[in-house]
Amino acid sequence: MRSTTGNTLGPAARGPAEVPAGAHRLAPADLPALASGATLLGSGGGGDVGVPARLLRHALAAGPVPLVAAPALPDDALVVHVGHVGAPDVLAERLVAAEDFVRAVRAVESAVGRRADAVGIIEIGGLNALIPALAATGLGLPVVDGDLMGRALPRVDQLTLAVDGHQATPFAVVDPAGDTVLVTSCAPRAVEPLVRANLAAMGGAAALALHPVTARVLRASGIPGTLTACLRLGETYLAARSAPPAEFAARIGARLLSAARIDEIQPRRGATTGSVTLHDHATGAVVRVDLLDELLAVTVDGETVAATPEIIVAVDPVEHTPVRSDQLRTGRTVLLLRLPALHQWPREAARLVGPAAYGLALAPGAGFRAAGQETPQNPGAPQNPGAPQDPGTPRSPAAPQDPWAPGERGRT
Amino acid sequence: MRGSARIRVADLLTDPLLDGAVTLAGHGGLERPVTDVSRYTATGREPGAAGQGTAGPAAGGEADAAGEPEPPGVEGHLLVCDDTQVTPPHRLDALVRGAQEAGAAALLVAAGRTRPLLSGMRLADRLGIPLLWLERAEPATLLFELGVRIRAHELTRARTVLALVRQLTAKKTGRDILAAAERILAVPLSLVTSDGTPILGEPVTVPPGLRLDLPVPQSAAHLLVHPVHDQEGNRAAAWLAITLERADADRTETLGVALAVAEPFVRSWLTGQRARAGRDAVFQTGLLAEIMAARDTVSRDVVENALSLGWRLQDWHAGIHLTMENSRAREDRDSVLGQHRDGLARHGVHTVAVVDRGDGWALWTSGELEPRPEEARQLLRALRVVITGLPRSWGLVAGIGRARLGPGGLAETLTEARDAASLARSHAFRPAVEHADELGVARLLATWQRSEVTRAFAETALAPLRDREHAHLLDTLRTFLESGGSAVATAQTLGVHRNTVGARVRQIRERLGVDLDDPSQRLALQMACRALDAHS
Repeated sequence: MRSTTGNTLGPAARGPAEVPAGAHRLAPADLPALASGATLLGSGGGGDVGVPARLLRHALAAGPVPLVAAPALPDDALVVHVGHVGAPDVLAERLVAAEDFVRAVRAVESAVGRRADAVGIIEIGGLNALIPALAATGLGLPVVDGDLMGRALPRVDQLTLAVDGHQATPFAVVDPAGDTVLVTSCAPRAVEPLVRANLAAMGGAAALALHPVTARVLRASGIPGTLTACLRLGETYLAARSAPPAEFAARIGARLLSAARIDEIQPRRGATTGSVTLHDHATGAVVRVDLLDELLAVTVDGETVAATPEIIVAVDPVEHTPVRSDQLRTGRTVLLLRLPALHQWPREAARLVGPAAYGLALAPGAGFRAAGQETPQNPGAPQNPGAPQDPGTPRSPAAPQDPWAPGERGRT
Repeated sequence: MRGSARIRVADLLTDPLLDGAVTLAGHGGLERPVTDVSRYTATGREPGAAGQGTAGPAAGGEADAAGEPEPPGVEGHLLVCDDTQVTPPHRLDALVRGAQEAGAAALLVAAGRTRPLLSGMRLADRLGIPLLWLERAEPATLLFELGVRIRAHELTRARTVLALVRQLTAKKTGRDILAAAERILAVPLSLVTSDGTPILGEPVTVPPGLRLDLPVPQSAAHLLVHPVHDQEGNRAAAWLAITLERADADRTETLGVALAVAEPFVRSWLTGQRARAGRDAVFQTGLLAEIMAARDTVSRDVVENALSLGWRLQDWHAGIHLTMENSRAREDRDSVLGQHRDGLARHGVHTVAVVDRGDGWALWTSGELEPRPEEARQLLRALRVVITGLPRSWGLVAGIGRARLGPGGLAETLTEARDAASLARSHAFRPAVEHADELGVARLLATWQRSEVTRAFAETALAPLRDREHAHLLDTLRTFLESGGSAVATAQTLGVHRNTVGARVRQIRERLGVDLDDPSQRLALQMACRALDAHS
């Protein structure tokens, strides 16, 4: 565990980060792949990406958003992370606007005392994979290629920065009416309840800006390259979706866990997980999926074969369209897939992102570093081919293994 | 202690310990032998301990669940877990799998109000391991008691005996004794006769293999019987019977011992019942004797005593007198009279009482309304059917009196019944039944008319009128006597003038030389006329 460094942001004001020539720019053409990849990484939750994708298409028409890798930023460049918090359903009734996120970032900037240099992504699964790009168009800033979850997770404290002891404050919650709550100081365990409490007053959903950090901190604690990974996963998915199930799974680097019909759904009750019982016709196996918003674990014949933070995806058996947890219905047949986690969490994080975090008495899935493993293996995080490599960066993958890189898919 | 594999999961389910347990799934494994019982301890490694994460995502994904295979030693065991182990309910899956992999016989969940998920039940079905769900139970107690039940059944037996002795000592009636024993043994218990007819409890079908003529404990499939000895001890007065769905050898043995323990209590009650019945009989005999003596002038005490026995003296009564010539059958008085009364009851004839009158037993029916004539015939028919159905060797003889009103009527009808029984006894066949109605004048006369004495007298006395030319005089005499000596009625019957009748009567007097005003002469001549008719 890294020592808590507190807010070490300097007072110097900077302009937007210098974007290296040749860096990837997010253009409208990237949106289908981005949306598909984000949906898969949503692990059955993360909200519907449809609305943000449309908003982003409009916003990108004015010009693409540059992507920048954290190592490519100056050490003291300020990155503010943004995301949409609250019930995803609210988004279907009340549009978000880039201005909400701009206002939230501005509020954080005012508390820090300097302007942001880039926008950071909180979670790469679901609609929040797209929101920072939307915010970036409003701010005129680049988006950092990376995130703090490596997937979708339900709480705003399930972040690598939080695990490493970094403060989320100052953070700002802004609703579409412009109401702004700025929290300048807050214990780590109070972040989530404070945000939720404000959401209740703000109609259930709001724009959030938090974790203003320097690029140096982000290089050490962020998950690099996940936006590119998300794009590549989306591209691979779109190319492979018409293939037969086994081939489809292999091409997107997933393991096909089961093809099963839903026989019973015990819905979640508040924070208590729900369970879905499925019947695998091919093997006769009894399959259980535990879920909240996200699909948290798959248990086949009493043996857990996938568990958070691994990414579990249910897709339609023919179209291979991802099925969100709220779209599961009794009688429906789904393919259950397991995608590797994009991030190897430290073992201490098991209580934060492992099954125990949801009250599940299951062993955590892969996605945790083994005890004593100094250098985290990060098989899910591909190298950013466009980003200059800093050999001394501890977060740099020691054994790059990109499941979605062409020619390197052969996971067994 | 022993680890016998004689007990199966299904056997335990019939045990009182698991009363209320439901087999949710895995019915296919109910015949698995159970060698022991132990608490389900998920002793497995800390979730995700060493070995995870190093092998890469594919291998690392095969995460063990919380219910890893049990350490060796629970093979064949009934595993017991409490509700905390199945909360949240998804944990059941891992428990089921762990239990099966460890070779456990079954999984018993003392669940509180937790409900299982479908997946857990499906998995138990798939793996064929019985999943037993018990809502109300204290796991620790359950574990201990089941351990005793499986490993040390001698202790179970000793406790059962102790509980029986404690409970049965305080019970007064046979019904209470049986109910208490049923509660302790958790099986239906009946007290039956040797043909399975219930004295207490449900009827029992006696399989052909059982020898209920031998007073020893016996068992057959689904049935366990134990004789209740009579006071002499050499024959069974009744049988205690347990009907079983299924039971392993240990439980059968325990139940057999339990029956032996319960038998003296039941016997004592039965004997008491008989003694009380004997005292009642003496009282009833005395009371009936008073009624017979006092008739309609019975005292208030007698009426009250009668009422206390359920005798409604003011009603209409029809008496029955029953005798038994076979002395051996007399010893079985209760059985014979009981069967007799029951038989009558099946025909809708409900007798008020059976009172010993020395030479037989008096029975009677009572009713508020005067019985219709056909009811007397029904009574006779019913009695004949019932008595014919009883063994001929008992030598049963019965008589029925006519329906009479009030206490005096009761005395009369019983007297008539006794007379009818006397007549029936004169028949050569058994069983024999007679009704007082059929002992009427006509019958009496017919007896006389058929006698040789009467016939000889008729031939002599009526000889002067028997030639053909006096046939009209004989006709007139017969009609005149049958009409009660009325000349008018005779004239109407014969279609002649009444002066003609008068003239003919005068001629008859002259020819026979008798005084027709003398009742004795008239009776003798009337008998003679009828005797001639009977023989002509």
